[in-house]
Amino acid sequence: MSHRRLVRPWSIAVALTLVLPLVLPNALLTIYIFIGLSTMVVSGLSLLMGFAGQVSLGQAAFYAIGAYTAGLLSRDLNVPPVLGLAIAPATAAAIAYVVGLPLLRLRGHYLAFGTLAFQLITLSAIGEARDLTGGDTGLTAIPPLGIGPLIVEGPFKPIVFGYLAGGLALLTLLFNQHLVRSRPGRALRALATSEAGALAAGVPVGRYKLQVFALSAAYAGLAGGVYAFFVSYIAPGSFPLVRSIEFLIMATVGGLGSVWGSAVGATVVFLVVQVLQNLGTLPGMPLRAPAVFSYAVYAVILIGIMLGLPGGVVPAIQAMWGRRGYHVRP
Amino acid sequence: MQYAASGVATGCAFALVATGFVAIYRVTRVVNFAQGVFAVIAGMLAYTLLGQGVPHLLAEMLAVVAAGAVGVLIGLVAIGRRGTSPLASLIITLGLGIGSYAVLILIWGDQPISYDGFKGNLDVGGVTMQLQYVLVVLLTGLAFVALGLFFDHTYLGRGLTACSSNPRAARLVGIDVTRMGLVAFGLGGGLGGLAGVLLTPMQPVSFNSDVAIAISGFAAAIFGGLLRPGTALIGGLVLGVAEALVAGYGQASLQSGVALVIMLGIMIWQAGRRSIGTGEDTA
Repeated sequence: MSHRRLVRPWSIAVALTLVLPLVLPNALLTIYIFIGLSTMVVSGLSLLMGFAGQVSLGQAAFYAIGAYTAGLLSRDLNVPPVLGLAIAPATAAAIAYVVGLPLLRLRGHYLAFGTLAFQLITLSAIGEARDLTGGDTGLTAIPPLGIGPLIVEGPFKPIVFGYLAGGLALLTLLFNQHLVRSRPGRALRALATSEAGALAAGVPVGRYKLQVFALSAAYAGLAGGVYAFFVSYIAPGSFPLVRSIEFLIMATVGGLGSVWGSAVGATVVFLVVQVLQNLGTLPGMPLRAPAVFSYAVYAVILIGIMLGLPGGVVPAIQAMWGRRGYHVRP
Repeated sequence: MQYAASGVATGCAFALVATGFVAIYRVTRVVNFAQGVFAVIAGMLAYTLLGQGVPHLLAEMLAVVAAGAVGVLIGLVAIGRRGTSPLASLIITLGLGIGSYAVLILIWGDQPISYDGFKGNLDVGGVTMQLQYVLVVLLTGLAFVALGLFFDHTYLGRGLTACSSNPRAARLVGIDVTRMGLVAFGLGGGLGGLAGVLLTPMQPVSFNSDVAIAISGFAAAIFGGLLRPGTALIGGLVLGVAEALVAGYGQASLQSGVALVIMLGIMIWQAGRRSIGTGEDTA
């Protein structure tokens, strides 16, 4: 892939990140922020699945860990919010490292169940630790984000968070782009093709898998931290199992291991679900229509892509244009 | 003892779900995430049939057969297409599980449902046991005996075993591996369905009960490394009793955690015995 071709998508992305928060009306800006946060989580999951060949059904747990870390630090310990935001991904990554140490030695489907169990345990632990986390009723009154006397509140809050979410999402994508082109990235690609082959060629397979897992958790934790400050109220119910599956669906749509695919996947899936939910809440619709719609659309997207375009949508389009993506068939 | 009795009964149901996992995994190397769905569908179908005046036993049998049919359908989507990798199949079964939510909510709503099982108690050596528990244990034992006979003494069962030990060799001797995979999915569906109709009178099911059921079943199944039904039975019983004891003597809210912790513990223990680089067929 030549460098000239690379410049164009990046300059478009930077321009969009700079302009969109200013021009979008508030309702759309909220959606934009959530899409940015999802993109961060998905870009990590996409690396994990595409390169380390591991399915995680617990990304929402790291999202929750990041959110609770940031929220608790700034609310109960008076840690400056910005510092809390920095500690959130570190905590998520550290926990992922510890959990991944035993779990990542396992085969793909064990990790899928293991991460699923990890999320359920995390959620019930948060729910049980009532004194610390407020239990199932949630953590309220998270202080607003700010640096010193500058506090992000009032009419400009959505715009600031728009820049924050969009900018951080862009940074994670940039980091991924560099990662897949670097020496560890090449090793990861070898790992994705053949684990034994990579091992024989001297790639420290176990360590790399663990690092990608921790990195994906860090992205999720960072997104969770921003989420906590943006909505200023979090509860175990904000991070259901379905959210993890939603991230998985976004990663699959975008193409596992495809850098740009994460953003496209997150955007497409989020918008489709949003539109269907709006349709479902229209007057005259049955009460359960929104739930039925979203479950059905998750299923259709997931199955359709796995059977029709196992590489994902973005790599398929890239292939049509004669470009080579780094996607890996699962 | 009361707790132990109810634990044995739920453990039997877990063991049936676990055997469904094992049956499908052995033949296709696919871990079927929709395994809990079979139990939910069968339970809800039995509830509706009973409500329509269909007599007990017939209603449950119809529900189990229907769950088996759903199993074949899921198998058709998950492995019917040539070249679908086990990881892709796993994600597809996950998608089918989510899709089932839409159908289940549409038909049965989002409230938990239950129906009466067999009423009455049985006194065995001073311990009073509900008749339903006894029935569950008897039926599970019967199912396991039938499975053993099926795998060892029928042509189809031996074909399934052949596919599980060496798919390529099985194909060479003229066994249609994909069709055997579908048979395994049907079998897994039926076993899950049996677990569902037995479980529903003991604990109500709702559309998303499948996750808890699947996790318990999977936890039981990995006792035997996903390959041995006998060990899965022991795993199910241990799990069921442990859960019942925790719920009875400890906190009910910790009950669901037992399966998770046991599962993670076993997986980590097994990980210690296996080296990392052997996962080429994994996925």
